[in-house]
Amino acid sequence: MSSDVAIECVGLGKAFQLYARRVDQIKQMLFGSFHRFYREYWVLRDVDLEIRRGECVGVIGRNGAGKTTLLRLFCGITQPTCGELRVTGRIAPILALGAAFDHEMSGRQNVMISGAVLGLRRAEVLDRMASIAEFAAIGGFIDQPVRLYSSGMRARLAFSICVHADADIMIVDEALAVGDAAFRQKSLAFMQDFRKRGTLILVTHDMDQIMALCDRVIWVDDGGIRGNGSAAEVIARYNRSVESDEDDGARFALATAGFGGDDIRIRRHRRRSR
Amino acid sequence: MGRDGLSWADAAAWAGRRGGMAPLRVGWRHRELIIAMLRREVADRFSGSAFGWIWAIGAPLLTLAIYTLTFTRAMPLPVASAQGGTAHYALSTFVGLIVFGVFAELSCRASLLLHEHAWFLKTSIFPSETLAWTAVFRALVYSGISLVLLIAFQLALDGSVPLSLLLVPVIIVPFVLFLVGLVWFLAAVGAFTRDLSYLMITFVPLLMLATPVFYRASDLPPGLRLAALINPIGATIELLRSAILGGAIPLVACLGLTIISVAVFRGGYAVFQRYKGIVVDVI
Repeated sequence: MSSDVAIECVGLGKAFQLYARRVDQIKQMLFGSFHRFYREYWVLRDVDLEIRRGECVGVIGRNGAGKTTLLRLFCGITQPTCGELRVTGRIAPILALGAAFDHEMSGRQNVMISGAVLGLRRAEVLDRMASIAEFAAIGGFIDQPVRLYSSGMRARLAFSICVHADADIMIVDEALAVGDAAFRQKSLAFMQDFRKRGTLILVTHDMDQIMALCDRVIWVDDGGIRGNGSAAEVIARYNRSVESDEDDGARFALATAGFGGDDIRIRRHRRRSR
Repeated sequence: MGRDGLSWADAAAWAGRRGGMAPLRVGWRHRELIIAMLRREVADRFSGSAFGWIWAIGAPLLTLAIYTLTFTRAMPLPVASAQGGTAHYALSTFVGLIVFGVFAELSCRASLLLHEHAWFLKTSIFPSETLAWTAVFRALVYSGISLVLLIAFQLALDGSVPLSLLLVPVIIVPFVLFLVGLVWFLAAVGAFTRDLSYLMITFVPLLMLATPVFYRASDLPPGLRLAALINPIGATIELLRSAILGGAIPLVACLGLTIISVAVFRGGYAVFQRYKGIVVDVI
């Protein structure tokens, strides 16, 4: 394997375990070696990808296609069910905006925790605190509990922490959707600059942003890779497909097939899988 | 690879590759995060409530007073007089209560630990192994206050403390390993079923009677005495009593505590590692 590869996956797949009853979960835990008590719902299947160091890759796809699951696999938050995944370098993800904050703690305390999660030493976080606060530009709110923040302010702080994390691979999931124009400009400028140093993976529904930043686009559809190539080409195909497909619920019905009567639990799993 | 994510064979191969020190190394690697979380939890406890420090000192004092009165006045125990009077019995019981309190708090909290931090685990690259360390150290910080009070009382009562007081940190190390292993195990299982937390609430008070909290292991007949000393909580209590209040160090307790603690620590880690990857999908 060459050291130029940041993320490499071969035959990667992720299945969620759907349990008809809560008890089955315990049975699976105790007797899992003898019998399977769950159904599998494949969110991702047979994903072969290679992302090289210094690349900027956009990930597009419809809701529920498996984009977020793919990113969570990259980050190691969830484990693949099958296949191989190799990630080289330190990852800084911005997944669900500021959701990893403790809402009772102040912005500053959250910076300490998030910094430690991203692998920074306490002294390093303290050194960068002023710079983090300045980039986030949320003024005195940095000392207030995060529950008082607007979603835009949470996004600003989350992004600012990742900016200061010295990551090799930065994963940005819809992070800028709630930011205002001024912050978006600043973030885009940062990402332009970051491309020179590290690998950037950007998930967004904003095709202009992808065109502006990404060399390559990966189109995730129905748990697989449907397109992988230059931004202009893949986006054109994606747009054609979205126009022709109706936005019906049939895609989401896939998981519930054969589970009649108990779909409340399944819906819960669906939400969790996002 | 097995269809349920990680099979025992994978887990064994993984553990073999990392060697026996893996669970310690993981904790050390994330020490900055453990300390940051600990700071947050302790600050939360003491600044969140207006009289934080007063509660921290007042609550154990009140407990000590009530237990002493109950067992020496309300229903006098022959054990108490055998141990050199009310005051000494109270201190001996206090040691038991401190240690058992740490165990009780952790075993009730552990099964919900991953649920408590679900947001962190699902939306950031938070290393879930560290939660056990943070929880154990938090419990130790609180009980540390009680321990200092205890030593102060002992000093006031006898005018001196035995030199063996210096052994206290050495005794706490295996106890910490035991607790961290226990929390790993309970947290992993508890992630799948909340029944475990109800089970613990029933089970813990029963265990309290089986542990030498209100009596000393030496009060038991020989067969039961061994059982009380092999129980890691009982062993820690007896060792701390000897170290702080004076007395012979029971060697069987030292040996048993070390062996069982290391086993629980390694075992708990193996179980946690096995289910770690799936846990995120079920909490």
